[in-house]
Amino acid sequence: MARSVLCVDTEERIDEVAAAVEADESLTARTATTVEEARETLDAEPIVCVVTAYELPDGTGLEIVGAIRDIAPQTPCVLFTDVPPAEIDTASFEESIVEYLNRDLPDAHDRLAFVANDVIDYSAQASFIRPDDEDERLETLAQYDVEDLPIEDSFERLTDLIASHFDAAVAFIGLIEEEEENFLACHGGDLDTLTRENTICTHSMLQEDVMVVEDIMQDARFAENEQLQNLGIRSYAGANMTASNGQVIGQVCLLDHVPRSYDAEEQAELEDFADTAMEILELRQTVRDAERTEVAQ
Amino acid sequence: MSSLSADGFDVPDGIGPLASGTSVLLTGDDADALESVFARVVAPADGERSVVLTTEHRGRAVQRTLNGERRGAGDRAAVMAAEGAASGDDITAIDDLADLTGLGMAFSSLVAEAQQETERFRTGIYLCSTVASEIDDTRSLYRFLNSNFLTELRRGNGIGVCAIDTSADIGADVESTVTGLKTSFKTHIDVDATDRRNAELAVDGPDGERTLDVAL
Repeated sequence: MARSVLCVDTEERIDEVAAAVEADESLTARTATTVEEARETLDAEPIVCVVTAYELPDGTGLEIVGAIRDIAPQTPCVLFTDVPPAEIDTASFEESIVEYLNRDLPDAHDRLAFVANDVIDYSAQASFIRPDDEDERLETLAQYDVEDLPIEDSFERLTDLIASHFDAAVAFIGLIEEEEENFLACHGGDLDTLTRENTICTHSMLQEDVMVVEDIMQDARFAENEQLQNLGIRSYAGANMTASNGQVIGQVCLLDHVPRSYDAEEQAELEDFADTAMEILELRQTVRDAERTEVAQ
Repeated sequence: MSSLSADGFDVPDGIGPLASGTSVLLTGDDADALESVFARVVAPADGERSVVLTTEHRGRAVQRTLNGERRGAGDRAAVMAAEGAASGDDITAIDDLADLTGLGMAFSSLVAEAQQETERFRTGIYLCSTVASEIDDTRSLYRFLNSNFLTELRRGNGIGVCAIDTSADIGADVESTVTGLKTSFKTHIDVDATDRRNAELAVDGPDGERTLDVAL
């Protein structure tokens, strides 16, 4: 399926930009010539990447970046312009990241489609750390048919036990997928999914040991995270669910609405619970695989 | 000394050669030792260009340091400096370290310009921990590293080094942050200054773990 790239530029230049994008057959250009038109298109259509000029009739390319942040925050953006970075007013957009491609460079138009594909393929503007072996990790995760396995009741019982054991407000089991965390069971909260940039598990999964954040308001990685604040989360402890090949596919976590610490014994116990959750998942998958083999024979 | 080892990037004292695409996370709690090792990795050889973002020094001082590591390296480097004023084509001033949007665009632009001259490039950020301490939300730093630092290394023929002073207050648990960042970089070098003139480097990369003793 062709990828829709929204190209935003002036009437005089828009055809040239769209042609440069469509030089790659996998990309389809949608066009807009104003900030307003771009905003409407973002609202109405599934756009996988935006390529925008800086100077537009009713505003700037960074206002498009603002619109992306409001409407489709995961969508990458390429600023394709001959305006030097020093002359671009970033005052209201200090923490928005865009790809800057100088259209005056000799190979700029040739590179545009390559860059657009690259930022799409690699989620290159992701605001979370991605392990270098992420592809292998996702392949491992894909081996588990979590949607089909009868694990929900088991995991619900387990999170009830975990919350009770630690006297924690919330206990959950979540799998870390490519773009979001999928919560399989949760005691004390109504969690379904969260984008990875908004979860503490995104960081916790990279640690070998249990990760404890005693007070998220005192940690710059999480203090500005509105999603966590809206959920009333103040403290966190997470342990890895590690597959037999060593890849971390999920987390077993505790949340509380007050600052809180966990001693070494408690952290070891949380690891035990994470290992138990992993064993349940492995066993259910093994049974499912055996059943399928039997049917096939 | 050969400027190129096979197709890798030469780095002295046994640190290199480093393969194209190598990202190095450089950590340590002694800023002087960190700076010395940083300069060895980022100093461009003949036929290469470097782009250095420095939060601590003036652009000319960085160029002199690079010249000390490799003859003429400073003249082959473009420096974005948070200290001092812009000068000529190769030294630009950073007005606001917290403006990662502007910083990222300027950085990418300089890397693209460097590649117009020669396809081989080196990039460096000294000190990333200072950038982290200047911003409110660490997620924007990760976005900057993903979008403007690691991406350039994936796409082009270059290496990059990002230095973190682990004694700095970055508003978050440094150890945990470094543990996370390590997973995104291909090589981690931890610098332990054993005295004022020597350091032990713990190198963890694609070829496994090793230690190196280097003079500072």
